[in-house]
Amino acid sequence: MAQTQTSGITAEAQVQNQLEEKSQKEKLQLAKAKQDDKNAPVTIRAEAFNGRPERFIKFERDVEIIKGGTKLNSDEAMYSNLDDEVDASGNVRMNRYGDCYSGDSMRLQLDSGAGFVSNPIYRLLRNNAQGHAKRIDFQDEERSIITSGTYSTCEGLNPDWYLQSDTLNLDTGLDRGVAGKSVVYFLGMPILATPSLTFPLSGARHSGFLPPVMGASSKGGPELTVPYYFNIAPNRDLTVYPKMIARRGLQLGLEGRYLGETYSGETSVEGLLNDRVTGTNRYAVASVHQQKLLPQLDFSWNINTASDDNYPTDFSRTITKTAQRLLLREANLTYYGSFWNLALRTSNYQVLQDLAAPIDRPYDRLPQLQLHAEQHDVGGLDWSMDAILTRFWHPTMVRGDRMVINPSVSLPLVQAGAFIIPKISFHATNYHLVNPAPGQESDFHRAVPTFSVDSGLVFERKTRMFDTDLTQTLEPRLFYVNTPYRDQSNMPNFDSAVADFNFAQIFSENRFTGQDRIGDSNQITAALISRFIEGNGDESLKLAIGQRFYFNTQKVTLDNTVSPSRSDLLLAAIGKLSSTLSGEMALQLSQTDRQSVRSNYGIRWQPSPKKVLNLAYRYQRNTLEQVDVSAQWPMADRWYMVGRSNYSMMDKRMVDGLLGFEYKADCWSLRFLAQRFATNSVNNTSGFSIQLELNGLARLGFGGNPIDALRKNISGYQPINER
Amino acid sequence: CGFALRGPVALPFKSIYIGMPESSALGGELRRQIRANGQTQIMSSAKDAQVMLEVLSETRDKQILSLNSQGRVREYNLIYNFRFRLRNNEGKEYLEPVDIQLKRNISFNETQVLAKEAEEVLLYRDMQSDLVQQIMRRLAVVKMDD
Repeated sequence: MAQTQTSGITAEAQVQNQLEEKSQKEKLQLAKAKQDDKNAPVTIRAEAFNGRPERFIKFERDVEIIKGGTKLNSDEAMYSNLDDEVDASGNVRMNRYGDCYSGDSMRLQLDSGAGFVSNPIYRLLRNNAQGHAKRIDFQDEERSIITSGTYSTCEGLNPDWYLQSDTLNLDTGLDRGVAGKSVVYFLGMPILATPSLTFPLSGARHSGFLPPVMGASSKGGPELTVPYYFNIAPNRDLTVYPKMIARRGLQLGLEGRYLGETYSGETSVEGLLNDRVTGTNRYAVASVHQQKLLPQLDFSWNINTASDDNYPTDFSRTITKTAQRLLLREANLTYYGSFWNLALRTSNYQVLQDLAAPIDRPYDRLPQLQLHAEQHDVGGLDWSMDAILTRFWHPTMVRGDRMVINPSVSLPLVQAGAFIIPKISFHATNYHLVNPAPGQESDFHRAVPTFSVDSGLVFERKTRMFDTDLTQTLEPRLFYVNTPYRDQSNMPNFDSAVADFNFAQIFSENRFTGQDRIGDSNQITAALISRFIEGNGDESLKLAIGQRFYFNTQKVTLDNTVSPSRSDLLLAAIGKLSSTLSGEMALQLSQTDRQSVRSNYGIRWQPSPKKVLNLAYRYQRNTLEQVDVSAQWPMADRWYMVGRSNYSMMDKRMVDGLLGFEYKADCWSLRFLAQRFATNSVNNTSGFSIQLELNGLARLGFGGNPIDALRKNISGYQPINER
Repeated sequence: CGFALRGPVALPFKSIYIGMPESSALGGELRRQIRANGQTQIMSSAKDAQVMLEVLSETRDKQILSLNSQGRVREYNLIYNFRFRLRNNEGKEYLEPVDIQLKRNISFNETQVLAKEAEEVLLYRDMQSDLVQQIMRRLAVVKMDD
């Protein structure tokens, strides 16, 4: 998970950097244009003029004044040569780099751009922002103060929404608007009054109060959050979330992100002193951090913790949090050598117990030291070596140290259309148990050799499907493994389990993951893969079939479950059927009873943007059987329906569902969303949210953020006001 | 039925720089495939190479796929996104940014969390081999117009 989150930030930061780079470039160009303007000549046209050219000149009728990117028109104007200043009156219109202002009268210092306009109507290039005011003061070409004015991104004289404020500071250079005492009107009704509001003139976020969020939950009652965002630097920010929860008290949340050349991370902390419901302090922390200490030395942590077992169900409103009952805490130190690396790791899981279905606590690794080395093409040979020393700790179960040494050598014979790779590996393990069970030894070891041969051919042909020229491949593959039997029934199980049976697993030597069980095997895997590749190299469809054949009965077991003598058959297909239709299927068929063990069918139809339908069926024998339908679909002009139903056929119960509507107007959109999901075997959590998005100002809402929920639940969802 | 054994396909450029650190397993596997493929030389610095493969982003994501009736995760979807382009050191693009996405399902159970960590590593390695094949397919059809 650590990797997931941080790589996420990196990607985002890259995009952000690119955007910033682009806007930087634009800004520089504009700044240069403006700089050139300082020296640009002033051109004035009018039907008549009089006065003294070296001091004042009065222009009359159809006056037009141009200097660089600024153009001013009016009925009359007085120009002072000394101050390079214009006093214009009567039908005053100014266009400055695409921003337009019109009013009764205007004073403008042409050199600095400072001045004012009275009773103006304005329209800015960015965001198409517009409004009217008693007066606008220009501090320079970028900064202006609007007094007793309105702000809206809607067209026309009767905008659907507008912000009415006593003062409004707009800074097109910083791309920021800061409103003083303001009221937001929507369809003529006041919907929000605020003493201060900061908003971006386009995309980027700026320090200041974000719009308040109201909500309610069955466990905490009504709640109100007033977030404050600190934009510390382009690569670091901090958001503070004070949240008043009626029944519990004041919760304070902090979320910080940072990205440097050699480090990055993200930490969120939330806490509530003396919860009025439980009488205890409630808190949660989630933190990830990566750092390059030296060019070859990396350090990272991933720490998650919560004050008590019920924290996620009491405070988290999203299913991703309530579904996770194991919280990882780990720290890693890794040194990278030329062909080897050495990693020191310590890890532990906090278990948030659910009394109805208790969870066994996983082992702590205190610590684990791992050496990995590999080299390719050394005299035609590849070799690798793993040495892992781990101290496993558990409060109730058997504890001990385990040393694993696992060298391997292979001889890959690879050509464009064929390969054969014989490989020998050796697995030596030593255990020292601290508190062996009665009758169990404290020290024992195991040594197992494994021999395998992987081989395959690649055939190709040209073909045509759906009017497209394709290359079709046919790739037969055979994989043989031989590992002798070793009795492992007295060995502890610290980190092993039977791996899922899939296409990655059937080509690996051991049917168990982890190091505590090495499966005996004398078996061959046969598979056939066919790919359809487009002219640009894009793989549009992949079909696969595979099966493993055992030459003798497997004796090594985990928890005394007997393995079948014939392996299951695997079938898989994934790809595009047309430009709008894609699908995937995976099927594991038991050869013993000819029934499916696990299956997965999914199809997605996306005929146009903002129009997607997903259908899926998922089955795992004795564990789950679900139908999952989700869609974003236009219902009528401007109306979209969004929904998901993940229904468990085994329990005849909806595990996760949501239903909502979205309405898209030209300068705002509205979302209603109802959500319901299972939190344990008997309980569900329901939530309701409404969000009004005023384009270019804010998202105002009740409940959680519906866009997050929609993105997570409906694969392929696109926000309706995105172009 | 028209199938023939694949012969060696020479890449359309003489030398390439792979913009990934030496310690990257993905970079290692890709270099090896290019070497196995024949005439293209792999350079250790971008300015000596005719083209450079630039990694724009590489992200790993883990999404919940199924929950059981107790609201616990029983299947995850591992998603591996890779975005790269091919350009020369003067900035001329030979391959516009290409997105490749790979996915694998993994079952989950809280009691097996340590074993599942190791299994995720196996699945990512499998996706990596798949990814290398897909990158090679893209590189093979690059148009070099000079």
